Amino acid sequence: MNVSSAVVRVHGLVKQHGRGQGRVRAVDDVDLEVPEGQMLAVMGPSGCGKSTLLHLLGGLERPSDGEVWLAGQRIDTLSERALARMRRRSVGFVFQAFHLVEELSAAENVELPALLAGRSRRQARRRASQLLERVGLADRARHLPSQLSGGQRQRVAVARALVNDPLVVLADEPTGNLDTAATLDVLRIFEELRSAGQTFVIVTHDERVAATADRLVSMRDGMFVDDTRLAGSHTRGLGWLIGLED
Amino acid sequence: MGSIVLIVRLVLADVRRHKVQAAMLLLAVTVATATMALGLSLRGVSDALYEQTRAATAGPDVVALSGDAGPAVTSALASLADAPEVVAHHGPYRVVYADLTTRDSTSSPVVVHGFAETPGAVNRPLVTSGHWVRSGGTVLERGFATALGVGVGDHVTIAGRSYPVVGIAVTAATSIYPWAAQIGPGGGPSDYSGLAWMTRSDARTLASSHDLPVTLAMDLKLRDPAATEAFLDAHRASAVTNFRSWQFTAEQDMVILKSSQPILVVGSWLLSFLAITGVAALAAGRAVEQTRRAGLLKAVGAAPGLIATVLLSEYLALALAGDTLGLVIARLTVPAIASPTASRIGDAAGPGGATVATATVLAVAVAVLSTLRPTLRAMRTATVTALTATARRPRHRPWLTALSALLPTPLLLGLRLTARRPGRAVLQACSTATTVIAIVALLTLYAQPERSYGLNGSSVLPNLRDVHDRRLMLAVTILLIALAVVNTITLTWTTAIEARANMAIARTLGATPGQISAGLSIAQLLPSLPGSVIGIPLGVGLLSLFAAGNPADPPSSWLLGAALATLVATAALTALPARLAARRPVAQTLSAETA
Repeated sequence: MNVSSAVVRVHGLVKQHGRGQGRVRAVDDVDLEVPEGQMLAVMGPSGCGKSTLLHLLGGLERPSDGEVWLAGQRIDTLSERALARMRRRSVGFVFQAFHLVEELSAAENVELPALLAGRSRRQARRRASQLLERVGLADRARHLPSQLSGGQRQRVAVARALVNDPLVVLADEPTGNLDTAATLDVLRIFEELRSAGQTFVIVTHDERVAATADRLVSMRDGMFVDDTRLAGSHTRGLGWLIGLED
Repeated sequence: MGSIVLIVRLVLADVRRHKVQAAMLLLAVTVATATMALGLSLRGVSDALYEQTRAATAGPDVVALSGDAGPAVTSALASLADAPEVVAHHGPYRVVYADLTTRDSTSSPVVVHGFAETPGAVNRPLVTSGHWVRSGGTVLERGFATALGVGVGDHVTIAGRSYPVVGIAVTAATSIYPWAAQIGPGGGPSDYSGLAWMTRSDARTLASSHDLPVTLAMDLKLRDPAATEAFLDAHRASAVTNFRSWQFTAEQDMVILKSSQPILVVGSWLLSFLAITGVAALAAGRAVEQTRRAGLLKAVGAAPGLIATVLLSEYLALALAGDTLGLVIARLTVPAIASPTASRIGDAAGPGGATVATATVLAVAVAVLSTLRPTLRAMRTATVTALTATARRPRHRPWLTALSALLPTPLLLGLRLTARRPGRAVLQACSTATTVIAIVALLTLYAQPERSYGLNGSSVLPNLRDVHDRRLMLAVTILLIALAVVNTITLTWTTAIEARANMAIARTLGATPGQISAGLSIAQLLPSLPGSVIGIPLGVGLLSLFAAGNPADPPSSWLLGAALATLVATAALTALPARLAARRPVAQTLSAETA
């Protein structure tokens, strides 16, 4: 693989929690490259270090050792301020718990990263409208998160993650709190985005979600134990993958 | 009994877990009740000191003062002494108006009373150091001597002649220093004057050798000391210019404290207000925890009464402890505050029953007013809901959100944080306004022209009343600022804790720690701005209600400077808690919120 085309690259990545006897290696000497346009799924049981890996890729946590590169820039040595700028420009997050601002409407939540990135209110609003339409929530733009279903909230979170056209979307159990229909909605959106060339790293322990990815990495005790390219995900419908279609 | 033990154990456990909050409540209530108790005790203490001085010096019931010393006056005074209501008298004696200069050139007007070398039955000044007058020496009134810095053995120059100070004494026959003259020569107005005693012959010699103004005075003891008004009414038509009853003199003692009382009482209102503001912020910050606690107690079968008692007891117990501490502080400091001159003797009694009751009501009010709402909410919440209580969801404010979208990131975050908890913003505004009110009052006090007690207004002898008032105002202002500082830090920290999830989300979306920190500071500064602006007219208005006469306004630049300084101080104070909050690990916060 051509190194220069890798959007995300990590080398010898280690993350330790605790000290002395209680020290735990949440991520243990991991190497990874994610090329542009790839949808990478990271699977593993709870506590295997998946979420920590995602936080390290997005600069939300600092590694104990190793390197993290994003679009050719090493980010683990950046200041907090520079990391924040990098997140604005290059990373979109989608969380299992949605993490929407409860007192803001769907549109206002989607606008927020654009405003933080310095876009004008008009530009931010226009972009938010486009994205809400894209995720099928144009008619819910003024609704508060509490007035939306779980699936709708996650779609708002996806729209929010995309508002600054990030290089990579980091999704942490994006369907973990969703029912089957809502899961299908979210995966359809991811599929559309992947077709448009969006790079994804999705952490999940749902095999059906992982099956939609281009590549599947399995994790256990902080280490990668398997790295598989998936060939069939494009050829079968999503409904089949999650058991809704024959 | 079991319930009481349970309540005590729960309260103690909670206090141990929240030591900082407990200390803050204790501090706030202590300063508020101490200040109020001091303010309310002043009159009683002043009266008590006068009474004790009067008893120790055989103080007269009435002092008759004449504007001159002619035969008609002597005759009128003699007939007064023979009046049926009079059981004893002292005098007539000379009152000589002169100037006194100390060795270090401090000069002051002085009235010299010519007394016998052996004091009589009425008005026997109590010698507190040295001995009583003897030929060639002078005794200085204690308040005057203290202001001059003169003691026994020093020499003073009165009307150009040097006298050794042979003693220091107090009397209840005249007002406290610097109002010893009571009337001026010819019955006219008097200057700020001290009091000195000499022998009769020395006083006569002093007056005649320098042709100094002389008046006559006589001290009278009545059959019925309470019937002074009737006596004065009966004898007003005589040649005697003026009478001073003991009640009048006692009242005059309060003149020096005229501004002290409102400074302390109004100060205590403002302190109480800040205490309520701070404790309400604390209670609001703990509302979710208290609701869960109430749910837990309900779940194990506690009745609503027991739950209310548990939730309120902690604050009430701390408030009552603060009240006790405040009353003790008031008791210890009241002698220094109620008697700024040394003209009176005696032990200042502690706060009276009414003062203790008022201070206790204040302490209980602070505790109840600041905690009742979250307590009621906790009690009314259904058990299951209470057990999983989360912070109340802020209201959606579309127009404010739209407005903030036009602003730079720190202002956007700050405005949205302010809008999340408008009640807290009001508390911050009130806290700032209260601080500015106090600062305006202090500046106004310092802007007043000072009329010193020295000769011809010389500033060597400072105006005791002004100095006293300024010191008190400064002390009250410092206490107010201290509470406001605690409040600002508490409000910033509470805001940061409540908004930590949203701030963590903002961090994942690209907000820098600096922007978060600035946003948290701005969230406090935004309400502080109107608070400081409104504090200026409120301060001026409040002062006009309580100030004597027409006080001179301080320069506008001072007031604007005060408002700006308050805002800068608020920004500085919020910086540290905001910075600490902004540095919280994002991943950890988000994981905690998910859990």
